[in-house]
Amino acid sequence: MKTVVVHPERCVGCMQCMAACATAHSRSKSLFSAIHERPLPRPRVHVGAGLCNEGFPNRCRHCDPAPCRMACLPGAISRDPDTGTVLIDPDRCINCASCAMACPFGVIRYHADPLGPPEKVVAVKCDNCIDRQAEGRIPACVEICKSGALAFEEISVAMKRKTDQVARTVSSDVGAAPSSPGFELLKAVKKVEAELRASGR
Amino acid sequence: MDKRYEERSIAQDSRLLLKKADRDGVETVWDRFEHQQPQCGYCEMGLSCRICVMGPCRIDPFGEGPQRGVCGADADIIVARNLGRMIAAGAAAHSDHGRDLVEVLAAVAEGKADGYGIRDADKLMSMATEYGVATDGRDALAVAGDLAAAMQADYGTRKSELTLVRRAPEKRREVWKKLGITPRGIDRETSEMMHRTHMGVDNGWQSLLLHALRNALSDGWGGSMIATEVSDILYGTPKPTPTSANMGVLEEDQVNIVVHGHNPVVSEMVMLACQSEDLIALAREKGAAGINLAGLCCTGNELLMRHGIPMAGNHLTTELVLATGAVEMMIVDYQCIMPSLGQTASCYHTRMISTSDKARFPGMEHREFHPDNARELARTIVREAVENYDLRGEVYLPVTPVAALGGFSVEAIVGALGGTPEPLLDAIKAGKIRGAAGVVGCNNPRIKHDYGHVTLTRRLIENDILVVDTGCAAVATAKAGFKVADAIKYAGPGLKEICGALKIPPVLHMGSCVDNVRILVLASALADALGTDISDLPMAGAAPEWYSEKAAAIGCYFVASGVYTVLGPMPPITGSMNVVKLLTEGLNDAVGAAFAVEPDPEKAAVLIRRHVEEKRKRLGLDAKEV
Repeated sequence: MKTVVVHPERCVGCMQCMAACATAHSRSKSLFSAIHERPLPRPRVHVGAGLCNEGFPNRCRHCDPAPCRMACLPGAISRDPDTGTVLIDPDRCINCASCAMACPFGVIRYHADPLGPPEKVVAVKCDNCIDRQAEGRIPACVEICKSGALAFEEISVAMKRKTDQVARTVSSDVGAAPSSPGFELLKAVKKVEAELRASGR
Repeated sequence: MDKRYEERSIAQDSRLLLKKADRDGVETVWDRFEHQQPQCGYCEMGLSCRICVMGPCRIDPFGEGPQRGVCGADADIIVARNLGRMIAAGAAAHSDHGRDLVEVLAAVAEGKADGYGIRDADKLMSMATEYGVATDGRDALAVAGDLAAAMQADYGTRKSELTLVRRAPEKRREVWKKLGITPRGIDRETSEMMHRTHMGVDNGWQSLLLHALRNALSDGWGGSMIATEVSDILYGTPKPTPTSANMGVLEEDQVNIVVHGHNPVVSEMVMLACQSEDLIALAREKGAAGINLAGLCCTGNELLMRHGIPMAGNHLTTELVLATGAVEMMIVDYQCIMPSLGQTASCYHTRMISTSDKARFPGMEHREFHPDNARELARTIVREAVENYDLRGEVYLPVTPVAALGGFSVEAIVGALGGTPEPLLDAIKAGKIRGAAGVVGCNNPRIKHDYGHVTLTRRLIENDILVVDTGCAAVATAKAGFKVADAIKYAGPGLKEICGALKIPPVLHMGSCVDNVRILVLASALADALGTDISDLPMAGAAPEWYSEKAAAIGCYFVASGVYTVLGPMPPITGSMNVVKLLTEGLNDAVGAAFAVEPDPEKAAVLIRRHVEEKRKRLGLDAKEV
């Protein structure tokens, strides 16, 4: 089963995943129309800023067992057996914020949603683009990400790649050039800038 | 003091006013910078392209995603095109500022610019001679008309070489000729850059960057140089003049008017109006002790250089100045005026006035200045500022101003040296002064406000390197107290001895950001006196807190003129290591100078000291290990 895998070291902070996510969860599915919809569609993936202002795409991990699901008294949160996706039923949600309190990653938001009941504020979070997947399409955030920070792949493949990557760090040819020297250079400069701002100097 | 404010600025006035702005619920540039994090990495690396509508495109810096735009441009081409357009915009801004001054000169010649006149007739005549305009026995206004027309020809396409290029040392002009980057027309090079970067034109990243240098040279030895010289003709060539700096220059018991922007065309007339007796009398009727004019950014620098008008702050403090509650009116022209200012002012009683036909801002009243109405309009709006004193509320001015000396044009520096650059050269040859550095440029919230300028300047003068500065850098070091004769106490022993004997500060204020060309003229004079090229001089440039496209153009004309230049913030070029290598190494072979990028000013100081000592060694002078 394929799942969205996050590679934080690849995030360039462009926030295109946020715009693509909001569009995918609009009624029109088109960026140019979506911005005129009411209520406004909102992203379910959120790019945060790290210590040196580097980007990080924060999205629902679809935990199993899911703390949000266990905290949900009305039983609005369920798991889709085919994709393992943790889903919120907007009709059952009572906007009590228990799920957000239980969520260790802060990925649940509360607002009226174009795909929910009209004018009802409900809990909203990543649904793994389950509708798109049913049509044979990959999640919108992965499709738009051109730097490889968000990938949609078999978890076993991702695990194997990571295992090999770790294995290679103990191989004799360590010291190979980083995959993007330009991005490493930019990060080094931004790290110095962040340190200088925070320094007592 | 809250750590948050200390992290944003080293200037005490800014820290205190940041706290007040927070209390007043006023948003500042630092808040917006935080809200923008993380900023888009494609754009920071120069890898996003919005030039055509087959795109927009972006290149994956990790090599797995797209490696070419829809048109087929790779990372090198996209980065070079983006940088080229950045420089074109910077050159256009300075050069258009110059054009506006030439138009005032032409209007003066026609008698259609009441209030303006020829303040430096000697410079008018010497410029006319440079431009081949007859001066013998001719009336100054007739010469001014012909000079304006000759300068306007420099903007067009009728020449193969700009007139003022002849001011550069011969060896430098040979370098440009050999590379084919001698600037031909001021507007032409900018226009050609826009053409070359259109889809399907110049796709050689090296040739694009070479044209970027020519475009920058058309600013440095063209538009900006004309701007500076014509300003001197119209408003006087600066002489050393005492002044003061920081937000404490605003007066609690006076009507405060602040001019902000770049072009002296408007601010000079505002200054005249502020000095008129009837308006001062009106201010007294309102219970104020008088009318106090203060500057911000480079239009402030223009007034400071020529008239000693005090300086309230630099780029990042423009919102904070309004938060003092002490400003009756802010009058802006163009460039570096944050579009947020109208909203900031709406929290206080300050009236905001925009004056240029090409620069409008939300929340400002637009009162358009032209040479024929400027004098009267200035009086009208200054009167309105005085009337606004009635509405003043609580005022917060928690600092006292720092004294400074401004006005070091090349003519003034040579004058201080006794009429020739020889004493400076002798001091350099003797090793008392190791070399010189131009510390210039803006503020940028990426760098703690003023920390880059002040730290770098301190380290350079400590090590006997004479600093000349302009723009927002010059304001930062004035606030830090480096611009008084007594500041030699911060200098190394050799620089202390020479500046002490000449009774000048170790940091010389050379003006606004178009006035960076004064540094080029000074460098040319030193190179000519040594019979060498600018790139042989123990000299460097630095822009520790730069942010603007204009600064990118300045950096490029410095480097193309042979001046090693250290940037604080990284330009958007790291998407192409080819471009990075060319700008930081390859240019040495082409123009005898290159860029370095170093956000830490302590380390930037070491780079500059090392460079100065290396150049000394090559000139056969004593050299130190750094």
